[in-house]
Amino acid sequence: MTTVNNNHYDVIVIGGGITGAGTARDCAMRGLKVLLVERHDFSTGATGRNHGLMHSGARYAVTDHESAKECIQENMILRKIARHCVEETDGLFITLPEDDLNFQATFVQKCTEAGISAEIIDPKQAIIMEPSVNPELIGAVKVPDASIDPFRLTMANVLDAQLHGAEVLVYHEVVDVIIEQDRMVGVKLRNNHNGEELDVYATVTVNAAGIWGALIAQMAGVKINMFPAKGSLLIFGHRVNNMVINRCRKPANADILVPDDAVCVIGTTSVRIPIEECDDMRVTPEEVEELLAEGMKLAPSLGSTRILRGYAGVRPLVASDDDPSGRSISRGIVTLDHEKRDGLAGFITITGGKMMTYRLMAEEVTDLVCQKLNISKNCDTATTPLPGSEPKEETKRFSFSQKAAEGRHGTLDKEIESGDAASDALVCECEGVSVGEVRYAVTKLHVHNLINLRRRTRVGMGTCQGELCACRAAGVMCSDDKSAQKAINDLNGFVNERWKGMQPVAWGDNLAEAQLTATIYQGLLGVDKLANERRIEYYEI
Amino acid sequence: MRFDVIIIGGGLSGLTAGIALAEAGKDVALVSAGQSTLHFGSGSLDLLGCDDKGNDIYKPIDAIATLGEKHPYNKLEDVSGLAGVAKQLLERAGIATTGDANVNHWRITPIGGLMPTWLSMEGMAIVQDPDQMPWKRVALVNIANYLDFPTKFLAAGLRERGVQVDVKAVTVPQLAQLRKSPTEMRSTNIAKVIESNDIINDIADKINSITGEGYDMVLLPAVLGVASSENSKKLLSLIKMPASYVATLPPSVTGVRLQTQLRKRFNSLGGSFFPGDQVIEGVFENNVLKGVKTAKLDGTTLEADNFILATGSFMSRGLKADYDHIYEPALGVDVDDMGLDRKTWAKIDVNEAQPYMEMGVKTDEKLRCLRNGTAINNLYAVGSILSGHNSIKLLDAAGVDMLTALQVANNIIK
Amino acid sequence: MATETQTQNVSVNNFEQCLKCSICTVYCPVSAVTPEYPGPKQAGPDAERYRMKNKAFFDDALKMCLNCKRCEVACPNDVHIGDIIQAARIKYNTHRPKLRDMMLANTDFVGTMASPFAAIANPILKLKPMKAVLHGVMAIDKHRTFPDYSSRKFESWFKKNAAALQDKFNKHVSYFHGCYVNYNYPQLGVDFVNVMNAVGYGVHLLEKEKCCGVALIANGMPKQAKRQGEVNMTSMRKAIAQGHQVLTTSSTCTFTMRDEYDHLLGIDNHDVRDSISLATRFLYQLIEKGEIKLAFREDFKKRVAYHSACHMERMGWVPYSTRLLRMIPGIDFVMLESQCCGISGTYGFKKENYERSQAIGKGLFDQIKEVNPDCVATDCETCKWQIEMSTGTPVMNPISIIAEALDVEKTRELNKQ
Repeated sequence: MTTVNNNHYDVIVIGGGITGAGTARDCAMRGLKVLLVERHDFSTGATGRNHGLMHSGARYAVTDHESAKECIQENMILRKIARHCVEETDGLFITLPEDDLNFQATFVQKCTEAGISAEIIDPKQAIIMEPSVNPELIGAVKVPDASIDPFRLTMANVLDAQLHGAEVLVYHEVVDVIIEQDRMVGVKLRNNHNGEELDVYATVTVNAAGIWGALIAQMAGVKINMFPAKGSLLIFGHRVNNMVINRCRKPANADILVPDDAVCVIGTTSVRIPIEECDDMRVTPEEVEELLAEGMKLAPSLGSTRILRGYAGVRPLVASDDDPSGRSISRGIVTLDHEKRDGLAGFITITGGKMMTYRLMAEEVTDLVCQKLNISKNCDTATTPLPGSEPKEETKRFSFSQKAAEGRHGTLDKEIESGDAASDALVCECEGVSVGEVRYAVTKLHVHNLINLRRRTRVGMGTCQGELCACRAAGVMCSDDKSAQKAINDLNGFVNERWKGMQPVAWGDNLAEAQLTATIYQGLLGVDKLANERRIEYYEI
Repeated sequence: MRFDVIIIGGGLSGLTAGIALAEAGKDVALVSAGQSTLHFGSGSLDLLGCDDKGNDIYKPIDAIATLGEKHPYNKLEDVSGLAGVAKQLLERAGIATTGDANVNHWRITPIGGLMPTWLSMEGMAIVQDPDQMPWKRVALVNIANYLDFPTKFLAAGLRERGVQVDVKAVTVPQLAQLRKSPTEMRSTNIAKVIESNDIINDIADKINSITGEGYDMVLLPAVLGVASSENSKKLLSLIKMPASYVATLPPSVTGVRLQTQLRKRFNSLGGSFFPGDQVIEGVFENNVLKGVKTAKLDGTTLEADNFILATGSFMSRGLKADYDHIYEPALGVDVDDMGLDRKTWAKIDVNEAQPYMEMGVKTDEKLRCLRNGTAINNLYAVGSILSGHNSIKLLDAAGVDMLTALQVANNIIK
Repeated sequence: MATETQTQNVSVNNFEQCLKCSICTVYCPVSAVTPEYPGPKQAGPDAERYRMKNKAFFDDALKMCLNCKRCEVACPNDVHIGDIIQAARIKYNTHRPKLRDMMLANTDFVGTMASPFAAIANPILKLKPMKAVLHGVMAIDKHRTFPDYSSRKFESWFKKNAAALQDKFNKHVSYFHGCYVNYNYPQLGVDFVNVMNAVGYGVHLLEKEKCCGVALIANGMPKQAKRQGEVNMTSMRKAIAQGHQVLTTSSTCTFTMRDEYDHLLGIDNHDVRDSISLATRFLYQLIEKGEIKLAFREDFKKRVAYHSACHMERMGWVPYSTRLLRMIPGIDFVMLESQCCGISGTYGFKKENYERSQAIGKGLFDQIKEVNPDCVATDCETCKWQIEMSTGTPVMNPISIIAEALDVEKTRELNKQ
């Protein structure tokens, strides 16, 4: 773990989601001394709980021109700078018999106005391009949607921030802010692993904590009107589709199906929830029903495909400042300069927006930070590839795990030991994760437990959700007797975390799988009896 | 095709019933849809390991009185007697075990826990009293780079109990060759390589040379003896110090051996084993099952005087859960779903007792299946498909499998 | 929605049903002897998820799969693991088959060429220099003995000696003899005709018969296999229209035409499938229904050990052959432990597979030596080659054993209407 050498920084960034990671990267690249703090693991909030869709912007073209433009610009940038996080799948916007085909013309026109290439495709041709699509479609438009892996994207931003000198503290939670007169000068952190507290200081503090940013602001006596919207999604066992499939109509529930790596994801529902509930969200049976019913309209074979799990995220929607009632919600980027807005210097909140526009958000807020610090340095994040996304070297990858690892880490896969039997042994058979990759993640990617490891490598994200691999990975990660008990607790926690996503969809083969997993972990190994701690945190669900 | 008895399901319960009936001179056919849960076994068989609060049980026969009224053991005439019969049946199939239904002993789990059990296959490391470990100094010897034997956890677990443990690893060229496969460095493949290359002596020499002297126990992963215990015994006999095996992650070599030996025994008694087929329909007539149809033997009805349903629970497809209900897919007999639906049959904490685990088919006091509320005169259910107990929490799976099978065999023979 | 949705999670070749329990890996005869093979679970359902994402995940090592389907028999959740692997080979393999593979795969073409010259071909194929050429140039293993080519094809025998007699029967079947009976071992065909005639059935050949294509599939020529399969289906439809069942004496041909045509080659055989049967199954079912009776010679005595050929086991039809054999009073029947013999059609003929092939079969050979039967019975012709070569014990098709044990006169009497 990075240690805090000198506790005064130019900027402290709060929040290890994509916005925080991107902001840390931008600040570091402009030469600032940066500390990034995250109370749990990276991408545990909204960043890790969405579709993994790299919007072309088409979804917003009709309703929100500005967002659509931002999306397509960032979309084109991410293809270049985050190659290894992006899969260029393209997307379809389909019209079904129950939809109004007239909407298509408006849609294409608005896309074109926003700079999004939108090509009308003959429905028969669309079926050839994407055989899983509902064959009853009456219209289709092809747009440059793609899929993007938010875990990889966040990690790559963090790695680049570190390469540019940023320090990073995970499992460090902001428990208070330090204010001197009318200026925020730092924050009080608690190490969530051992409870120790420490103060860190900075000229500027950037609040990039997503929905939880409202609570940070509250500590500083500042009010931000957040409106948390819960969105539930389902993961299917394999890729049913190879192109993103959307409905060509006004955005509604469960109308996007995204192929992500070896799975596909349908979502989302949308329901307002109180901010206290953001810490413990579960997918309800009604949501499962709705997602499945609507999903089958996009791709009927979802009805006969195994659902691996359900999960829910929360969108950090912000009420416009000029409308305290909260009725007017902005989906765009919201940068709050609290010095101007609330008379509290040294404190900026960046929120709203979407994963797609994280880089732009980071650029905007970094511009403001630089202005406060009187630094004039241009932003280079749009043109500099992220670590792992540098131009591909022509190495031939042979084994399943080597190919899978290249997909996950891009050119950084060269840091993974391979070629000898000990490193090549497979830990996770579904996702092709080798011992070498686990070791790489543990040493280089801020991995403290199995759930962190899963976010970095996909261990346990396959069909069986960790039936054998979790135990193998725990064995590889465990170094001595002292850590053995921790590793067994971790293993028990991991099995429970996997189950929490499976439980809402526990029927069919999933229930059989659950029984088999319980037979192995509880019946054969006795993990539940050996674990002396059962605490599962919401962010691990 | 006509038989005296047709058994549906080729796992521990089906084979136990099949052997008991064939030994009594019955013409038995056994239809098995794929291999069984023995492949996830521990090398030990449990009768009753824990009470419903999760506490270890020391005297299982005595503890049976405390079980809930739905537990299948309540339908057995003489649990203790049947337990003895089960042990002898295994013995005749070439499976020697230690253990006694009156007093549990403890097995060592692959991550270093101790779990109460009834019978352990010969060669498995066991502990008679969990509060008093029988060894002071243990050498824990793994096959180099074999990931399914987590030695760090095992060592830590033993040390926690006051045992001094040294962890070692051995390899020989033939195993190093197997290591080249990133996916297939598995217990059963290790066993096949060792056994087919006849390198048990080499491995014993390696183990002897790296352990040296001074251990009162050498613990090894149970990766020997797929087809019989001959080779696993041989290795132990060649090691200079007392040595025994600890279970690995699946597939379980001891479980495969148990399965193989039982099936061979069944075959040698003249039983007909139909592997890879599946009963898809029953022909019922006035509360009597006349015959069953299978997926593969299309056009043929398998007929018998008596039938035994031994198809296991969800993971063996003996029970199925669809979007909104639980059913028994082979014959459509009545299932006790405890009145629960999809929202309630699984609880949020994985370690809680899961209601779905207790679901199974309904039976009368003679273990006969019910169909539309009425008992079928000649159709019995045995093993994990029975409702009324949570085998993961109570640690009673093998006991329920074997003892209900023996009880039903008795009911049929009578 | 609830009831019609998610009631069965079945996708193409149902790889989704895989619970990752690893049981299949225990029963794979290949992964046990060669670490280069990733094993059925990895090669099948695991990697298929990734191949669906990117075909670069296809691994050439999949060609080591024997297509024995023992993984499928072992699978507790009915995943078509072998089909997934073979389908992946068909879909993603980019290598073109070698000359050797084309020669081995085109069993009927080679047979047609060799048969007229059997007197020359057989000794030549056995000569050391020829074997060296085959081994070196063609990569056909020198240890292998090519099955003899018969000097007269079964079809020629049938036309000359049997065809004219068949119409006098009241009941009729069609016979798919397969390449082996036609070119290598016409006696099995003769035995079949004799048995069927004895129980009152006339035997007819199909209008046009092509090799079932199993070797073409295995050697990476699915298109040709599909063309041949279509020809067979057309001929069979005509036979079925006349009320004939189509019988074979080969478990592999039967399995290929009933299951692999649909699963791997995309041939629509749904209207034909149920009418294709194995001779032993056909006879057993008729006996069970009381429609025919068999009478056996009293002097017939034989110790017979039955070997469950892989595809026979996959079809689940072993009981038909074994229960039929057990009807012979003079038989001392032993059931061998079911395991692969290692030949897998043309697989074991290839130089690169020879050692693996023998290692796979070793357990079976040891068992046979221990049982020491007069003959081994099996429903598969390539198992016959392998077992005879490796153990020296003669191997017979159950139909040939029936033919040998049958009291033909008495049987004819019993089956006269």
